[in-house]
Amino acid sequence: MIKLPAIHIGKLSFLLAILVWLALLFVDMVRLFGVINDLNSGIIPEFTWILEILFFLTVYGFYNYNINKSTKNDFINVIWRAASTGLAASVVVMLFQLFYRLMGDSKLGQDPFLMNFFYHVYFAMATIFLVSGAILWKNLILYQKTKRVVKQWQTFEFALLLAMFFIFFNKNTLDYSFIFGLVILVGLGILLSANLKWIPYLTFKEKWKSLLFLFIIILSTTFLFLQSNGFSNSQQNYPINLLDNLFLISLFIFIFIYALFSFLVTLFNLPTSSVFEQKLTEAINFQRLSQSIQPEENEEQVLDILMDSCMSAAYADAAWLEMSKSESSEEVIQERWIDADTRHEVSHLIEKTKTAVDWATETKPDNLTPLPLRIDHPKFESILLIPLIVNKSVIGRLILCKEVRDGFNKEMVNIISTFARQASIAVENHRLLNQAIQNERYLEELKIAQRVQKALLPVKLDHNDSFEICAYSNAADEVGGDYYDTFQLDEHRFVLIIGDVSGKGTSAAFHMSQMKGIFQSLIQLNLGASEFMIRANAALSRCLERNHFITASIFILDTASNSFLHSRAGHVPTLLLHKATGKAEYLEVDGLGLGILRNQQYEKHVEEKVFSYQSGDILVMFTDGIVEAKNHKSQQFGFERIRSLVEVHQELTPKEIQIKIIDSVHDFVGGDGLIDDDYSLVVVKFN
Amino acid sequence: MLSISILEESPHHIIQVKGEIDASNSVQLDESIRSLAEKGAQSILVDGSELEYISSAGLGVFMSYLEEFQEKGIQLKIFSLSPKVFEVFRILGLDQLISILSTKEEAIQES
Repeated sequence: MIKLPAIHIGKLSFLLAILVWLALLFVDMVRLFGVINDLNSGIIPEFTWILEILFFLTVYGFYNYNINKSTKNDFINVIWRAASTGLAASVVVMLFQLFYRLMGDSKLGQDPFLMNFFYHVYFAMATIFLVSGAILWKNLILYQKTKRVVKQWQTFEFALLLAMFFIFFNKNTLDYSFIFGLVILVGLGILLSANLKWIPYLTFKEKWKSLLFLFIIILSTTFLFLQSNGFSNSQQNYPINLLDNLFLISLFIFIFIYALFSFLVTLFNLPTSSVFEQKLTEAINFQRLSQSIQPEENEEQVLDILMDSCMSAAYADAAWLEMSKSESSEEVIQERWIDADTRHEVSHLIEKTKTAVDWATETKPDNLTPLPLRIDHPKFESILLIPLIVNKSVIGRLILCKEVRDGFNKEMVNIISTFARQASIAVENHRLLNQAIQNERYLEELKIAQRVQKALLPVKLDHNDSFEICAYSNAADEVGGDYYDTFQLDEHRFVLIIGDVSGKGTSAAFHMSQMKGIFQSLIQLNLGASEFMIRANAALSRCLERNHFITASIFILDTASNSFLHSRAGHVPTLLLHKATGKAEYLEVDGLGLGILRNQQYEKHVEEKVFSYQSGDILVMFTDGIVEAKNHKSQQFGFERIRSLVEVHQELTPKEIQIKIIDSVHDFVGGDGLIDDDYSLVVVKFN
Repeated sequence: MLSISILEESPHHIIQVKGEIDASNSVQLDESIRSLAEKGAQSILVDGSELEYISSAGLGVFMSYLEEFQEKGIQLKIFSLSPKVFEVFRILGLDQLISILSTKEEAIQES
């Protein structure tokens, strides 16, 4: 397969245009030769006209492709291209005229072939200028286009296309039909020339530039048009008239009218140009303010934009920004065109003004609006106070100063208060976002704490074949203060411990870990139950906060003798179910909580007792979270409910009993009620 | 909910506690006792007749003054506790350290 090279429309049409033009030149030269030598060349004028139309179309194709691709909303560039083309065409034509003026009546100056050549060059230059101009105007006209304008332009283009072929119809005579066609095209052109929406978007400087370029275009158009008339009047020198073409003449008029309209509108737009630019800047500033700040950025950037925006909106001569750090002191974070001394002078003057004081002490910040003031200062005569309100409290104020009296009008105050509100929202969002990120981090930390704390409770509970044991613990918050543990002393002896730190949450969790450390050390010393509590009290007294205490129960099981030694340090009593009677009782042992008496006196307040058990007996240890769980009537779950539950379910395994108790606590509290304390449960069943 | 009011029946100061004492409001009780102690009160009686519930944080408040009051010779007594609330004191063993009496008269008499 032969691979066709990619067709470059721009280059192709450019090449075609040159070829067509050369063909046109050749045909006309041959015809001229025929006329001069009285020979009938046999070339009918329609042949030239077809080449002429082809030339129009190829030039149109070239520019349509070329210009649409390269220009996008760069108006000055568009006008410059038209102006430069016009200028180039005019210069070429002027050079010809200069040539003829120099030649005078010499032979070369009278040579019909050379004149014919120049005529064709002029034709080409004029066509290029007009067609490129029309396409450039199209870009301008269709800026911010509506469907209606697009339709109008398409109609105009179609009419121009028809105008190219008009020559076959009127055979190059200036009759009424020509004038009729011209009137229609010019009418359409004028209609389109009302589309000048691009002009306000030029800056002041660009307007001056575009005025210059448009002026060049107007001059070039006029010059080339007059030149074309000059050629037409001396038609005898040229075998065929290329220029009295409806297409070209309508384009001349269209280019001229649009350039003229643009020129006048731009000229009259000059004085109001600054207002439009100001509004545009305000809109852009507003957009900048409304873009929320990224968390890693800081508020000062927003306040910076706010200051610039407000200053430009009010044409302020100086400004500063005060942020309230605390109730009393105010911190100045930004100053513009003002030094510290002047600022202090002005601040002092503001504080002396009654309305400003009232304004500053307004109790409802939501009601605050910017306050314009007159002050008696050698430099600044009027100032504007703008509050920055975040989350219903004033976080600071912006002070704008102007050298003229009453320098702030209603429109300025309106736009400035909008700016201030927008900036406040951005600052507020920024703060909220940071807060949310912070909270997220705290939650993450708490989850870690929760994981660490879970690991403090034993996974595997020590026991032998003589008893079964299961345990459960739940914290009211992420972390809690309940603790249970087991330890095997020897083949038959086990220690069971349950403990509860007063309070809940993080502080309780820290104390719980201390308790574990102390219990784990003491447990290995193989102490008696009350001795254990006395030592634990001594150790915990050193590390607990003054108003915190720990309650605990210890059981030293001897499975060889079916008995246990028990001591209780302020902990809720433990339930023992006797299989023989089917009744449960709370073990009666007196004992003071740990950390309450932090001296030797504690020894007097703790006792230990030996209890014996039989197969099938059940020991239920728990913390006060279960006893004190409240229902919606503020009733507590209480000891009696636990007792009867255990009595009813005594045949079940420890795990099942545990589930029964916890489920019934939840039922008691109610579906959506929460148990607002840590609660734990250890169930032991002797075999 | 907790409301605390203080009556002065020379030489006693009576703190009436009404409602429930838990972790969220135990600070109020602490402040009342502390302010009385700082004012130089020598006998503080806590009227618990309308105390419905006391959590471990509330017990912690009473506990934290034990040593200080013993040193300064300030008397702290609690009276008219409901059986349910008294049980909480008893379980912890605080009944052995603080005088808990059944009536106001007893509390005044005993001092």
